[in-house]
Amino acid sequence: MVKTSDSSTAKLDTELRRGAVVLAVLSQLRTAQYGYSLRQALAERGMPIEEGTLYPLMRRLEEQGLLVSEWRIADGPPRRYYKLSPKGSRLYVEQTDNWHALVATMNKLLD
Amino acid sequence: MDAQVVIDSYINTIAARLPRRLRNDVGVELRTLLTEQLTAAAATLGRAPDEELATDVVRIFGRPEEVAARYSPRGFQIIEPEQAPMFIKLSVACAAIQAALTLPAVFASRTTIGQWLFNWGYGACAGIVILLVWFGLATWVRRRSPVDPESLTRPWSHHLFWLPLSADWRPVAYVDHEPFQRGAELGALPLGVVFTIFFIAPAWFLGFLTPKGTNASWALYEEHFRHSLLPILIALMAVRLALCAAAGINAGLRARLTVIRFGLWVCFTGLLYWTVFSWKIFASPIPDALFKAWLMIYLLVNSIQILLRIYRGLTQVRVPKTLA
Repeated sequence: MVKTSDSSTAKLDTELRRGAVVLAVLSQLRTAQYGYSLRQALAERGMPIEEGTLYPLMRRLEEQGLLVSEWRIADGPPRRYYKLSPKGSRLYVEQTDNWHALVATMNKLLD
Repeated sequence: MDAQVVIDSYINTIAARLPRRLRNDVGVELRTLLTEQLTAAAATLGRAPDEELATDVVRIFGRPEEVAARYSPRGFQIIEPEQAPMFIKLSVACAAIQAALTLPAVFASRTTIGQWLFNWGYGACAGIVILLVWFGLATWVRRRSPVDPESLTRPWSHHLFWLPLSADWRPVAYVDHEPFQRGAELGALPLGVVFTIFFIAPAWFLGFLTPKGTNASWALYEEHFRHSLLPILIALMAVRLALCAAAGINAGLRARLTVIRFGLWVCFTGLLYWTVFSWKIFASPIPDALFKAWLMIYLLVNSIQILLRIYRGLTQVRVPKTLA
């Protein structure tokens, strides 16, 4: 029973975070980042995302026109850098407003 | 094995499952990312990257099939989840109609069940394939031209492959069939009596209706049927008539007799099906065939009514007894 309860809690946590993942990624791509550095940046700010989820997500966001990417070869192997496209920047502003509104609503509900 | 070989092998397995246009791009990117991941993991543990650590890194990343699926474009959905129940119902109905129309030939011994299976049995799948194509095209059309969320109007292309949408729903006034049904049953009672009399003595009945001197001997029952199945059928008919009369007169009794009457109705219909397909009713072949054809029409109407009754019973919301 305890195991079931733990797994239910973990699922709910995952569900809760899932909705915020895209906005979290967009927030860190206002400046260009490549996959590994983005993952590190998110983890350092308390939002660890599995690499198996994060890297395909960046590709999908690029396909949706929210990100643009380019290959860069500096000191090391070639890396693909991603950053917000103009469409992604607009969406980021909108979604940030929505997020603040949602947080305010939730705070009222939880108080 | 070298750690980089493990990663390259993993990348190649994923790349083989990716669409061609993504293969090189994603492969090179993943190779860099996993190599950096491996370097970081080795640094954290304070050891050099090796086969074991590389294997752990790629295992954490995910099974190659799963990773490839995450990168691949989402698959085409042939049937939308909300349309799935309708698709299943129509498929079952398609197979059932096919069986109802063709299986009697097996009972009439015109063909074997094996022959039936390879002709009409599997042939029923053709109907299901047509449904699948229809639903698939409807899904495609609806994804290409969605309904306008403001006006809820369908684009013209939706009418080519029509499927219901939530926007189509309109409230339907509830119709209480009970008073109509009760009246219809009472009205049909004399017909039931006539039908029962005919079943008891068809030759006498026809002789009574036709001018004197007309020979009604062709309406004589086949001996085996008359002695074995006929008495059961007549007894069932008589009981059904009695219960119908009682339920028509007394409303309280009607509610209590519902299940028994329905059960008798189903039994009687089943027996009649058996009679039509497995018994010789009249001694003469022509009256036998004509009467069976008439019985088939009667059975078809009854079967539809029974199925409708079951459907209404299953889909109706009932107040639980504890709350009644």
